[in-house]
Amino acid sequence: MKKWLITSLSLVMTAALASGCGGSSGNGDTSPNSEAGSGGTTGKKTELVFWGDWGGEGQKQFQTMVDAFNQSQDKIHVKYVLQQDMITKFLTAATSGGAPDVLFWDRWRTSLYAPKNVLHPVDEYLARDGITKDDFYSESLKELSYNDKLYGLPLTVDARALFYNKKLLAEAGLQPPKTWDELEAAAAKLTKWNGDKLEVAGFSMADLGLFNMYLQQAGGTMLTEDGKTNFNNEQGKQVLEFWERLMNKNKVYKVGFELGLGEGQDAFVTGKVAMLYSGPWMLSTYNKYGKDLEYGIVPPPAGPNGDKASVMGGFGLVIPEGSKHHDEAWEFIKWWTANKDNALLWAKTSLNLPGFKPSMEDPFFQDDPQWKPFLDTLEFAKIRPSHPGYSVMETDALAPNLQLHQQNKQSIEETLKKAQEQGDKMLKDNEVVK
Amino acid sequence: MASIRKLEKHQAKMAYLFITPTVLLFAVFTVIPVIMALYLSFTNYDVLSRNDWIGFDNYRRLIEDDLLWKTFRNVFLYAVIFVPLNILISLLLATLLNRAWRGVKWFRTLYYLPTLTSAVAAATVWIWLLHPEYGLVNGLLSYVGITGPAWLSETRTAMLSIVMLTLWQSVGSNMIIYLAGLQGVPDYLYESARLDGANKLDCFRYITWPQLRPTTFLVSTMAIIGALQLFDQAFVLTQGGPANVTKTPVYLIYQQGFNQLQMGYASAQAFVLAVAILIFSLINMRITKAEEPIV
Repeated sequence: MKKWLITSLSLVMTAALASGCGGSSGNGDTSPNSEAGSGGTTGKKTELVFWGDWGGEGQKQFQTMVDAFNQSQDKIHVKYVLQQDMITKFLTAATSGGAPDVLFWDRWRTSLYAPKNVLHPVDEYLARDGITKDDFYSESLKELSYNDKLYGLPLTVDARALFYNKKLLAEAGLQPPKTWDELEAAAAKLTKWNGDKLEVAGFSMADLGLFNMYLQQAGGTMLTEDGKTNFNNEQGKQVLEFWERLMNKNKVYKVGFELGLGEGQDAFVTGKVAMLYSGPWMLSTYNKYGKDLEYGIVPPPAGPNGDKASVMGGFGLVIPEGSKHHDEAWEFIKWWTANKDNALLWAKTSLNLPGFKPSMEDPFFQDDPQWKPFLDTLEFAKIRPSHPGYSVMETDALAPNLQLHQQNKQSIEETLKKAQEQGDKMLKDNEVVK
Repeated sequence: MASIRKLEKHQAKMAYLFITPTVLLFAVFTVIPVIMALYLSFTNYDVLSRNDWIGFDNYRRLIEDDLLWKTFRNVFLYAVIFVPLNILISLLLATLLNRAWRGVKWFRTLYYLPTLTSAVAAATVWIWLLHPEYGLVNGLLSYVGITGPAWLSETRTAMLSIVMLTLWQSVGSNMIIYLAGLQGVPDYLYESARLDGANKLDCFRYITWPQLRPTTFLVSTMAIIGALQLFDQAFVLTQGGPANVTKTPVYLIYQQGFNQLQMGYASAQAFVLAVAILIFSLINMRITKAEEPIV
């Protein structure tokens, strides 16, 4: 009797366990495909699944576009699915057959994922539907390409520009800077110290990741043609000398000054930072919290030889290779990103710069002093080098050495030399392998 | 005799029954993944397209991975400060709160509270506390005329800040464990010691501390494992910066695996971490003499 009880109990427990696992793995490849498949075979509407990792406001903005697309025709029905941890989810889905049909894509990831054949090239569609590449910023297409194949279309573009506090500049009798020298002079004049306490930082030096941009302003490039670091040279030295003057001679900033201040307490919003590099994604925050903040935006000041530079980024839409509806997915992407009206609707809904150039001719952008400087900046902005090891090199080799330099723990020569050695190794360790 | 054996047999059966679910879960979610990871550490697995046997290549690459060894040095430094302080403070708190004082339960609750907050939320609050100009910590320091550092952004104080936060979060639960240990020390030991003329210090030195040996072993082992696997606090407070001084092995493993898709190499790194934890736990076992019986 008891024996029987024990055996059956163990069995029940084992079964519960097994079913527990089965259940969870069943949920893992949640039926986008079975759903989509059934839709396709019955000859009715094709169901497309669109993954993104924007929740909250972003989710509503996506939904607006999806609804508009669904109403515009009666062959395809798109469903937006929010995936908080989208990339990790996609990793497993891409190989297990649960891939979505359209993926919201941080463009810089292309160089890492395209070589693994998990994204579907779109060049043929482009040729078939007569879409000209000139309608997009070539840099943004470059970021979506690998080995001369294009893997999607840009949905948004952004670039860094110089934000300045109008009131503080007017008080100091200054015009927004156009060159490094003007930037340095303005920053020095805007900075206010009270003993050991920094009250107003003339210019934010928080983001050392912007080295890339400064280097191009000095006339350099981050990587050589054959994928090695290219900053241990005269241009790199110019950038660090410029930073040294700002930090040590003019003392326009203090390390850690902006860290941990929430949106409402943002140092620029509260007038504690007079100038900083930022992008269009901060406009809504500044407009929302900065009731007393009057600010202007200008393209990044030019370097010593007049070189202009900014860093372009943004998102795109791609089609996973694992999708069973490549053609329909393309229709959706084309409708959204390569149509003047739809791209403009998207821009107005989400307050992003669209990837489609004709949409930017609209007065919505051209006549708005907040957008115009970004349009000007985008004319010369460049993407980060598309090397799969680039971001590792930047965050693990370059930034740490720049921080040591910023805190006066390392000379310029040593900083550049070490960053080069460590950076070259990381680039090599993380390069494309088939 | 026979009936005793029968009873034992029965008890053994029941014991197996009761541990079955746990052991099965352990096997499915721990043992099998560990074996998989060991296998993967000899491959170039990238989740998406490749999974070829490459022998010891990953391990060879490990040796020259300066950043990995730096992260190990970081967590060792962290452990050297964190583990002894953790034991000291939680034992001190437990000793203080092991009396029948009025309001003692109130204090126990207060000291335990930080443990209940989420690591990420607490870290966010600490970022404010540690702000160089507007933070509470530097505000207090300025009253005594000291200009406090930019705690999280300077290379010499960043790790110290993480030690402070994690101590604040972990002494509460260790205090509870020590309290349980203290209440398990039999009263007659103290009584007879007092009859022999031992003072309070002697009592602690020769009775409390040795009696607490298993407790200390538990607390220190958990602290060492936690220290070597440090991740979320460091991630939220400093993102591994400045100058990589707070970057930890777990952070690096995650980045290598999920951001760079080099799962094989990340598995090899994870194995080195596992071996390091094993070695330090063994050393700890020696130091605390965990295997020896208590008096």
